[in-house]
Amino acid sequence: MPPSDPVIIATALSRRFAYRPVLVDVSLEVRRGEALLLVGPNGAGKTTLLRVLAGLLRPTAGHVERRAPIGMVGHEPMLYPALTARENLRFFARLHGVDTARVAELLEQVDLAHRAHDRIGTFSRGMLQRMAIARALVHEPALLLFDEPLSGLDAAASRALVALLAELRDRGTAMILVSHQLEMLRGVGTHIVRMAAGRLGTVDPLQGRDPVALFTALMREAS
Amino acid sequence: MGAVLRAAWLIAAKDVAIEWRTKTAFASGLVFAVLVLAVLFFSRDPTVVSSHDIAPGALWVTFTFAAMLGLNRAFLLEGELRGLDGILLSPAPRSAIFWGKFGGNLAFVGLIEAISILLFVPFYDVPIWLRFGELLLVIAMTTVAFVAVGTLLSAMVVRTRYAELMLPLLLLPFLVPPLVGGVQLTAGLLDGRPLSALSGWLKLIGAFDVAFVTLAALLFQVVLDE
Amino acid sequence: MRDRALRLAGVGRGITVLALLGLAGVYVRALKYTPLELSQGAAQKIFYVHVPAAWAALLSISVCGLLSVLYLWLKDRRIDLAAAASAEVGVAFGVVMLTTGPLWGKPIWGTWWTWDARLTSTLFLFLLFVGYIVLRGVLTDPGVRGRFSAVIGIMGLVLVPFIHLTVYLFRTLHPAPIVLKPSAPSLPSAMLATLLSSVGVFTLFYVGFVMQRYALGLLRELREEELAGAAR
Repeated sequence: MPPSDPVIIATALSRRFAYRPVLVDVSLEVRRGEALLLVGPNGAGKTTLLRVLAGLLRPTAGHVERRAPIGMVGHEPMLYPALTARENLRFFARLHGVDTARVAELLEQVDLAHRAHDRIGTFSRGMLQRMAIARALVHEPALLLFDEPLSGLDAAASRALVALLAELRDRGTAMILVSHQLEMLRGVGTHIVRMAAGRLGTVDPLQGRDPVALFTALMREAS
Repeated sequence: MGAVLRAAWLIAAKDVAIEWRTKTAFASGLVFAVLVLAVLFFSRDPTVVSSHDIAPGALWVTFTFAAMLGLNRAFLLEGELRGLDGILLSPAPRSAIFWGKFGGNLAFVGLIEAISILLFVPFYDVPIWLRFGELLLVIAMTTVAFVAVGTLLSAMVVRTRYAELMLPLLLLPFLVPPLVGGVQLTAGLLDGRPLSALSGWLKLIGAFDVAFVTLAALLFQVVLDE
Repeated sequence: MRDRALRLAGVGRGITVLALLGLAGVYVRALKYTPLELSQGAAQKIFYVHVPAAWAALLSISVCGLLSVLYLWLKDRRIDLAAAASAEVGVAFGVVMLTTGPLWGKPIWGTWWTWDARLTSTLFLFLLFVGYIVLRGVLTDPGVRGRFSAVIGIMGLVLVPFIHLTVYLFRTLHPAPIVLKPSAPSLPSAMLATLLSSVGVFTLFYVGFVMQRYALGLLRELREEELAGAAR
């Protein structure tokens, strides 16, 4: 097992949008090999938190210490519809300083090799999601942030992704996963934390327990 | 420095590839150019206004308005599937985004200008070939001026609802010094005056370029932050 | 902070009243006690409003630009509010300048508008700051609004000398027709005194207006904050 140092340390993050507080004093640490399930009602600030952790959004207060490269799969694919799958990945590979040979590998991994030369503007929602995952993995990041990773994926693709996530986790990649589909991520999560109204609860190591049961308990507790 | 150039080049090349594939802004820019040149040519009374007198103004109106059609496109394409976020997540230096967009815009506007000049010659019987080198210099310097400011402003207005209206509104005052200079220099050169006689305008545009390219590059970081 | 804002507004109002009294004094002085200009006659008197308005507009833009730089450095939203206040007041003075100009021009030059140095410069800078205000109007997040406004403010300030230079160069190439310029280089002392007192009064107006506008802006922001907090 690789040494468990934190790959990211967030301290007292706050963020407001047009006077509304969206993140309130959030502190968090994630270590190698940990898969943190971030749950909570809509509007709790989960997406905002991920964006601040990724560096796409600046916090109004607080600090993020990033100790390793980050990859992110957000609500939008972060790609260019006019370019082909291959061109998109080549662009991001080059931007990250990664050998473009990796592109073929990635397309295989997300099962899009047969559409490599098609413009992604023509892709379905599920295919775009798989492209986004490929893009996030292009530089083999130590920390992956997932905002609804299973959205748009059919059963087979979901299972494939879950298997991939488990494998990455076992190899030491840290991840934070926001998802409404906890049952599918059962085998992946190692920790769970609840977020509500901009505040983060205490991180709970699952230690073999079922996250779905825990989640239901957490929700009941909150009401 | 090298990292900035490399990333900027990648971004500019990507933009050019996308525009080349879709050709939307390019097509509208070109149509506009033809329209302006033709209308200005045919709407005057040829016995009163020679094509020679109207030529510099016509050329520059064509350049700037066709350019404005293209400026918004550079950031619109980033918004479709949020490609820009992908770039922000990469180790590419943020300043490279400005230089990449600036470079891509220059390429786009430059191409429209080149084609406009080709269309210009048959319409307006003007001996541009005699002072071609100097004209090219003037066109290049003036274009740099409004593309630099235009790149910065388009990054700002793209997220507002009225981007197509806000860009010209905000850009117009910044067009005055380089455009007036550009037209005066073009007219002067076509009239056969030596560049040395027009040095005042040249220095004005040069100073404007230095000031505003620097300012735009610096302030762009402010605009990128969410 | 609300109380301080309200007090500031009060002081601003007081200063404005003072300025109004001053303006009345200037009017009296200009109309009764300052000699009539030889060739332009009574119409020239607009000069005592037109030029100070131009001065105040330029002051507004400069202050806005400087505050914009300060804002990007210190990120204090009050600086942003002050810059915006200055810009708005500048637009108001710009309107005065752009209306008194033609009003003066028509009887003297026989035309409502001329592309004279100062009028042209003011027109384009006026348009820029109208754009500034429009932009602020469409941006809802105060952080984004402050930052974007600051960018325009700084660019506007740097643009001022370039526009002046452009129009100056343009004029020397195309010499102006033989008309009297809006401000003659040497004025008889009586006229100069009236002009200077008018400039003083307009500066006072600037201060008074900006204070009130700033206070208003601050109160509005505090209110929005309150509402957003309550909504949770």
